[in-house]
Amino acid sequence: MTTSFAAPVRNPASDPEKSQSSSKQAATEQSLLFALPKGRLAQDSLSFLEKAGLSIPTDTASRKLVLPAADGSIGFVMAKPRDVPTYVEHGAADLGICGLDVVRETDRAVYEPLLLPFGHCRLSVAGPADRTTVQSGENVDSADLSVRTSLSSHLPETPLRYMSQPRVATEFPRLTRRFFADRGVNAEIITLGGSVELGPILGLSDLIVDVVQTGATLRMNGLVEIRTILESQAVLVVNRTSYQLKSSEINRIIERMRILTD
Amino acid sequence: MNGHVPFGVADYFWDEARRRQSLLNQLMETFRGWGYGDVIPPMFEFDSTLSAQYDDTLRKGMYRFLDRDGSTLSLRPEFTTPVARLVGARLHDWPMPQRFCYGGSVFRYLEPQAGRQREFWQVGGELIGAPTPAADAEILALTATALRVAGLTDFRLIIGHIRYYRSLLEALALTPQQAQQLQWALERKSEPLLADFLRDTPLRTGQRQAVETLPHLVGENVDSILSLAERHIQNSGMHEALQNLRQIVDALTGYDILDSLVIDLTEIRNLGYYTGVSFEAMTPGLGTAVGSGGRYDDLVGRFGPSQPAVGVALGVDRLLVARQRQEEADAATSADRRPPALALPQGNAGALALVQKMRETGLHIQVDVNNWTVDSAFAYAAETGVCDILLWEDGFQHHRRDERGDFVLLGRLEENRLSPPTGACREKLRT
Repeated sequence: MTTSFAAPVRNPASDPEKSQSSSKQAATEQSLLFALPKGRLAQDSLSFLEKAGLSIPTDTASRKLVLPAADGSIGFVMAKPRDVPTYVEHGAADLGICGLDVVRETDRAVYEPLLLPFGHCRLSVAGPADRTTVQSGENVDSADLSVRTSLSSHLPETPLRYMSQPRVATEFPRLTRRFFADRGVNAEIITLGGSVELGPILGLSDLIVDVVQTGATLRMNGLVEIRTILESQAVLVVNRTSYQLKSSEINRIIERMRILTD
Repeated sequence: MNGHVPFGVADYFWDEARRRQSLLNQLMETFRGWGYGDVIPPMFEFDSTLSAQYDDTLRKGMYRFLDRDGSTLSLRPEFTTPVARLVGARLHDWPMPQRFCYGGSVFRYLEPQAGRQREFWQVGGELIGAPTPAADAEILALTATALRVAGLTDFRLIIGHIRYYRSLLEALALTPQQAQQLQWALERKSEPLLADFLRDTPLRTGQRQAVETLPHLVGENVDSILSLAERHIQNSGMHEALQNLRQIVDALTGYDILDSLVIDLTEIRNLGYYTGVSFEAMTPGLGTAVGSGGRYDDLVGRFGPSQPAVGVALGVDRLLVARQRQEEADAATSADRRPPALALPQGNAGALALVQKMRETGLHIQVDVNNWTVDSAFAYAAETGVCDILLWEDGFQHHRRDERGDFVLLGRLEENRLSPPTGACREKLRT
């Protein structure tokens, strides 16, 4: 595999940063700060880091916001998944782990050298099962998906592609808008903070765009997947400045992770 | 009326305003020291003038409005294009090279970030009429000098060359979709996306190797990276780009900044009008670049006879944030943080005449215009951090705040006593 992005290799003899960095890291004593997502990806991220041979915090249940690694080499912050790219873009954290769905949705200027082998899911368009006909055995993507939109002003049986303005509830407004815009549809995006499955049930929306892992939640709420917008998994994100200025440390971490991803 | 201001702009006052102003002056003075002459372009211009050469992000981020005759105007989002217009349209027959420096507000309708509102300050310089590596080297060295003047000791200049990438694209003869896929992978430094590109795109062996090598063309070891890149040259454009980079690095030898250089031939973001070398200045503690620049040989020619050009722009706001985070506040700027003395002439014309004389010697003195009682004057001084009070009693009696915050009568004013550092006094006030 020769397609690895090598962070700049620093000649250890001429490393002026090393000697100065200790005095300049006012906020943390660690040379690197790693932002990890709370919630769904938290445990997987920590075990992955451990497998990669990084020292991880011993006390993750602690209410302290910045957790030092067991050997003090790296600091960790547990952040809301959405905030991880923001922390990293601003350089508040040097590296982070979060879902590719979140990285694409937030569209922050960060490097994303590696996809990590966990957190697999997909961002999908889903609609009410009783109003969505998918012929079994037919490719979902090419099926003539008719969404009966009794709740909106559309004629019943209008296929998705002919709906002039479907109402879509989602936590991913940017990706959703783009998905529909690419197909020439000006969807009415209804941005929610969670439980978007409620949208069609309560008549708030015709469709939803949400993260699907097994599909159980969708089925439970009488929804079926119609299209996949994005295949997602965990991704390592790196601050652009840190990538250049802390290259040796970051490169070491990338190397260790790469072994586990090949 | 409420006191709101629009999103993305801010009031700066007191110390913060003075720090910004003085950093701007320091940087301008640095550019002047290298022979760069001041230029003050208009705050707004015809939209067609400004936006023609910008990439989509910058073009979308411009403040536009209509003039009374219906023409579209834009607030300047940077200074390079106005300077190029000035030289191309009006100064083209003045001897080249021409050097210009500028400082002031630019406007971009973007999400405010660390050290960047929608109105923010840039200082920069443009060197027009010299195509040589020596000119590129001067701009790089000047950037490093300016960063040091701004109080940053630890920084890197990340240097790329857009010609290398553009020539590679030519050699690969990609479809627009394929080119987009490659650009995405490089912009994000994403190994999986690059692997996808290589899987999806049929390439000859040599071309494939050239693409596979791209991620390794990043690092501080300038010579070995350029050598590696040279082994995968596909056409004369790539060759010339690398040769040009070598010449620029050679030309930097006398400037003592070789330790700060990082080569990154995959850095292809935000390169709108650049045609040759391009660079970003990065510093620890700030996630984004504090300055950027490069060679733009096609811009001046849009407005008149073509001229090669190279320049740099530094973000004053970001420099302030970076400096603050590095805790390297420049001694020169903190030394003059002395609140003006407060003089109470008590209606005496002679007192005012004396104040005028002292002001002429450079002392900062504010005069009571409210006919204050002595008590009111002392109260005002205590609240606003004034350390020296001059009370007129047949000559000024000088009261000085001591370490405990009490005013003590020093006796008859001796002017040399007004200037000593009052930094200790300020520190005391904060606690």
